[in-house]
Amino acid sequence: MARTIALTFVILLGGARAFAAPGIVPVTANTCVACHSTLADRRLANPTRLFGGQDVHRERGFDCVDCHGGSPTSPDKAAAHDASGRVSAMAFRGKPTGRAVIATCARCHSDAELMRTFAPRQRVDQATEYATSVHGKRLTAGDTRAATCASCHGAHGIRLVSDAKSPVFPTNVATTCAGCHADPARMNGYTLADGSPLPTRQFADYQKSVHFAALTKGNDLSAPTCNDCHGNHGAAPPNVGAVANVCGTCHAVFAQKFAASVHEAIFDKGCVECHANHAVAKPSDQMLSATAPGVCQPCHNGDDKTDKGAAAAADMRGDIERLKTGIEHSSAALAHLKNAGIEVSDPQLALREAGTRLTLARTEMHGFDPAHVAPILADGMTIVATVDRAAQSGAAELTFRRRGLFVSLGAILVFVVALGLKVRQIDRRDHERRTQSAGR
Amino acid sequence: MSVIDWVDERLDLTEVRQFVAEKGVPVHAQKIWYYLGGMTLFLFSVQLFTGILLLLYYRPSAAEAYESVQFVVTQVKFGWLIRNVHSWSANLLIALAFAHFFSVFFLKSYRKPRELTWVSGMLLLFLMLGFGFSGYLLPWNELSFFATKVGTGIAGAVPVIGRFSLRLLRGGDDVTGATLSRFYGLHVAVLPALATALVGVHLLLVQRQGMSVPIDVEKKLKPGERLRQMPFFPNYILRDVLAWYLVIAVLAALAAFYPWELGTKADPFAVVPPGIRPEWYFLAMFHTLKLVPSHVLGIEGERLGVIAFGIAALFLVLVPFLDRRASRGERSPLFTVLAALGLVYLISFTIIGRYAK
Repeated sequence: MARTIALTFVILLGGARAFAAPGIVPVTANTCVACHSTLADRRLANPTRLFGGQDVHRERGFDCVDCHGGSPTSPDKAAAHDASGRVSAMAFRGKPTGRAVIATCARCHSDAELMRTFAPRQRVDQATEYATSVHGKRLTAGDTRAATCASCHGAHGIRLVSDAKSPVFPTNVATTCAGCHADPARMNGYTLADGSPLPTRQFADYQKSVHFAALTKGNDLSAPTCNDCHGNHGAAPPNVGAVANVCGTCHAVFAQKFAASVHEAIFDKGCVECHANHAVAKPSDQMLSATAPGVCQPCHNGDDKTDKGAAAAADMRGDIERLKTGIEHSSAALAHLKNAGIEVSDPQLALREAGTRLTLARTEMHGFDPAHVAPILADGMTIVATVDRAAQSGAAELTFRRRGLFVSLGAILVFVVALGLKVRQIDRRDHERRTQSAGR
Repeated sequence: MSVIDWVDERLDLTEVRQFVAEKGVPVHAQKIWYYLGGMTLFLFSVQLFTGILLLLYYRPSAAEAYESVQFVVTQVKFGWLIRNVHSWSANLLIALAFAHFFSVFFLKSYRKPRELTWVSGMLLLFLMLGFGFSGYLLPWNELSFFATKVGTGIAGAVPVIGRFSLRLLRGGDDVTGATLSRFYGLHVAVLPALATALVGVHLLLVQRQGMSVPIDVEKKLKPGERLRQMPFFPNYILRDVLAWYLVIAVLAALAAFYPWELGTKADPFAVVPPGIRPEWYFLAMFHTLKLVPSHVLGIEGERLGVIAFGIAALFLVLVPFLDRRASRGERSPLFTVLAALGLVYLISFTIIGRYAK
């Protein structure tokens, strides 16, 4: 009964644009929504609610029939769902699944001419990229569990990628991927190239990483999430040899130094050998060592005096620590002087330059050649020495000021006491004069 | 022949000699408050002296102001001392000016015939606040830049002339190098000229009318009895000098142990740093404006606050004319209560404003 009333209402609206449609099929009223919104089966009713809410396609004039086909004006269920194409120009296709999802989305999203009218800057190669992805290849191979467009973007209630509530907004990507990849049941049966089971700890590892912290705590939307390393539509694990290139997308100078290093030919997994992949921890100087907790130790032995690699690591680490300690001491001395009121902006600026040298040395270290690292650190030590001289001069100035103050305060005190005695003397003289005149 | 005799022979200093010989200061339990005016005047002269020295190096442009102050502090011999004394002296001056103001208010020294002394004193207090406001921006550091933005923004809330006064103060719509030039002009030319003239008038009136005696002290005198006077020269002036020396000692200690921080150079494109506040003497007003709702009876809250402060300032200037009981030499508890309320308000709102987030 309710369905009939709703249907009648929609038809009576006639020209009213219940769902305005500058999209592919112009409609005057939508019988799909009228019927489906009243259905008891949630699977059939929910799409109307989601699509009727915030949905980028509906907002741009698209309608149910643009993906599902059928007749959106027919009050008759059979006619509305006619798959022969006799009732409506768009034959009813029902709920697209598997490869049909890709074809449905690609019908518009791979059409450069059409997309230009809605989002001129948007790429139109998603379907092509998808075909190269692990997801796409599995789907082609008949794996119906493989992710399709709707798995990440949703089917109804789709939001723009730039919308913070979108499941593919940078801060939500990892959770969206984890929906499948952190679920051991769903990943059951999938394997890596070497035949080992596909791990499901990536999300947990990523949550420990410096990248996750930057993205979620530092609100840095440019910090990498899953798709920044694996690709999005063409999602696949980077090939072993491509890891350095992937990391080098952001860490360009490090990648360049590494590419010219002795390790480039030796490290199978590039950057990952020392920094891990998903659980990329904040790098520290302690990593540069062939003894625990250094990351050189699996290959180099810190106790072996003939191990050149271990010696190189020890040399570079020693120089880095010396500059670091020098900067810390100078910084503390300048802070003390600043608190005491000595202007130290110039030496502080110089010390920042020493800090830059330290950063440069840490970067250069990725070339693993102490001969290139040492001169940079020596420059830093020269700056620290200059700053220390300025700090000593500041300390001398501070002592001079304090002594000067005590001397002048002493002089003032003597003068005040003398003045006080003089005042008392004058007062006493006046008092005596008053007493004498009162006695007369 | 002494220099005084030499001058006397040419200018006839008889009247001056007579004035010096006869000038006395009433002796009573509350005479301690008399020293506040002299101390404030002393600090004003310290400001003039140190200000002139700073002028030798200061460059009033957005590109050079900060660097020139930095140069004074780091490179000029004793420049750090001059700058620190100038900054501390400015704050002590305003603190003492407020103390002087409240002592005069509580003792009702503004009563007839000293109404004009009070009015000139009030105008001087406003000028001192103007000195503080304009001088705060001159080092062109981050804190002063944003505090001036807020402060001049409040000037924009003045009814009718708000927009005009904002643009007049800023030299445009925003705080820029043009604002710095204007504040510099105000700080080193306009305000000193006005203040020097007003100090002259204020001192002339004080010398002409002598020190006021509190109503309570006057009432205790028996008919025909005269209050004992202390000779101004040398008894009182030596005490004054003693007080000035103590002020110098405090200034020197503050300058050496708590130097005025220069901060970082103002960057108009930087994000407003947290905790931007005006100088302490504007905190009570600033915090009050923060507490006023955005709209009261359809009137913009900030505008209403500014109007209220304007009325309060006018009331303070007119106090001698409104306090009729005091002008008749009677006790006026209402004005004592008003002064007490004003003092409590200023102290409490300054403290709250300092620690409010």
